[in-house]
Amino acid sequence: MSPVTGTALWVVALLIAWLWRPRQAPGPSAWILLIAFGALGAWALWFGLYAHPGEPAGFAFWKPTVLYWTLAAIMIIAPLLGWGYPVKIIFGSYFALSNREWRWTNVGCATVYTILGGVNLLVASEASYNEWVGFKFSCMITLLFIVLFRLNFVWLPILADVSIYVYRRATAAHRYLSSLF
Amino acid sequence: MPAVERKPENIVELIWPGQRSELVTLDATGKSGGAGEIFSIDSKPGFVAKIYHATTSQAHLDQYRRKIQWMVENKPELPQVPAEYQGIVQLAWPEALILRQSRFVGFAMQKIAFDRTLELDYLLNRRQAAQEGFDADYGKLVTVAFNLASIINCLHDERIAIVDLKPMNVKVYKAALYVSILDCDGFHIATDEFRSHAPQVTPEYLAPEFQDKAVAHPEAQDSFALATIIFRLLNYGIHPFTGVASDHNNYPPELAGRIKHGLYPYGKLAHKSVRKVPASVHEAFPDHLRELFDRAFASTGYSRPSAHEWVAALGIYASKHSGQMSPCSKGHLRFSSRPCPTCMRDELIHGAEVRRRSFLARVQTAPARTLKYVKKTLRQTHSSPFQAALAQAQLTLVQLAPPAPISTRNAIALEILWISGLLITYWWTR
Repeated sequence: MSPVTGTALWVVALLIAWLWRPRQAPGPSAWILLIAFGALGAWALWFGLYAHPGEPAGFAFWKPTVLYWTLAAIMIIAPLLGWGYPVKIIFGSYFALSNREWRWTNVGCATVYTILGGVNLLVASEASYNEWVGFKFSCMITLLFIVLFRLNFVWLPILADVSIYVYRRATAAHRYLSSLF
Repeated sequence: MPAVERKPENIVELIWPGQRSELVTLDATGKSGGAGEIFSIDSKPGFVAKIYHATTSQAHLDQYRRKIQWMVENKPELPQVPAEYQGIVQLAWPEALILRQSRFVGFAMQKIAFDRTLELDYLLNRRQAAQEGFDADYGKLVTVAFNLASIINCLHDERIAIVDLKPMNVKVYKAALYVSILDCDGFHIATDEFRSHAPQVTPEYLAPEFQDKAVAHPEAQDSFALATIIFRLLNYGIHPFTGVASDHNNYPPELAGRIKHGLYPYGKLAHKSVRKVPASVHEAFPDHLRELFDRAFASTGYSRPSAHEWVAALGIYASKHSGQMSPCSKGHLRFSSRPCPTCMRDELIHGAEVRRRSFLARVQTAPARTLKYVKKTLRQTHSSPFQAALAQAQLTLVQLAPPAPISTRNAIALEILWISGLLITYWWTR
């Protein structure tokens, strides 16, 4: 996929998201996550696709730490400022947890991300390059867990809704066409 | 009547038994077979002529001449036809030789009224028979089978065998139920004074011991073909070697192969590797007939029931006075004290149709029902207490919130943002 196609697809998806956005105002924790990911995404888009010769040398070792510590900082600061728990946005508000449970989940995630960011730097400086690469990819398992969680509890209901809608439309069209002939 | 052009080659000489000769003129009928063409005879409306094709070799013509000569002089005794049935021709037997310019070219035989008859093939399919004006019931079918067996029995008594016996070569009189056998010049004759072989066979009606071989015992071959025709007549056209194999790898695709391997699934003892066709009604046949079928299809040639045995077995059912056929509660004729095959067939076909429709309906509604079930499970809104308990049992670890008060479009918009965040996260950690 060419950079232009990739960007175009992303822009179209974002346009759809804008058109279909919920009309109620997002909470502050949602805004701060949006801004943070917007910035990280813009960085990724710029240096990954367009800027030459690419990112500054040695920055690759810092990238996971930047992400983890950014997330950890948001998760720690947002509740302190009374902006709610950002982990609700990441996991989704589909789970009926109490505020206390959300707080501990938020603290737990912030701790995990802080530790992961620190361990990344430690491994990058002390271990070999291959060991660092291995560590980096093993950390992605956390991403996989989150995706699977989301897939099960959020994407499947949406898919069910969409499928039922498409099926009903298709059967209605079939009935209509059958009545014509 | 318009004058018909008389070509010299159409003027032929008929040689009747006792060498009485007569000059006649032939008119083409447009009907033609593998061996010859059929002509009408102008002064003999009750007869037709079969003239062998011009391509027939002289050697074959000589063989035919000897055979026809013998046949003209030795017409077999056939079952008596009651006086009320006029013009029934039970065999298209040669009645006179035909010579053209003193050269043998064919023979004359009695004309079979095609408007009064239909091919026996049509009786194997009730709908086809009805279209031909024949309302088939078990009484009529048994009578037809009995009449066919009677003719074959008479032929066997004279040491004559048909060999290539198949429904296409048999005509049935719609009202009288007598049968007429065609292509008599292909019969096998083995009398003391004359012998003639019959090389023509049809694999679907050929006994297992003669598959891929010459027919060494023509009467045994006739017995097999007769049993096959009777089975098909009584079982809605199902061939006795049509079945459902449990092991498809070793199941021959063609009937001849199944006959050769004895894959007969309708016996009183079930076959190990082949099952009956679901629409078969053979279980409604009397035990005596089933035993005859078993002997015909599941045994070797010597124990196969002869035409004489079939005559004896079918005679009691073909006779109206024997009381061996009686109407069922719906008025169909059936073998007394046996289930009604017609009702059985209707039930099987109707049941199959109901099951087919039900299956199709379930297949068509399956996607919607599955999605509905998944949705109810995810939202925990099952109306059935059992399903609700099942769904809750699967999700005891995580308590879900009530359905979010957002539309599907809003949810999709949020998920696009979420996936974008995921991609960014992936890019930053990769």
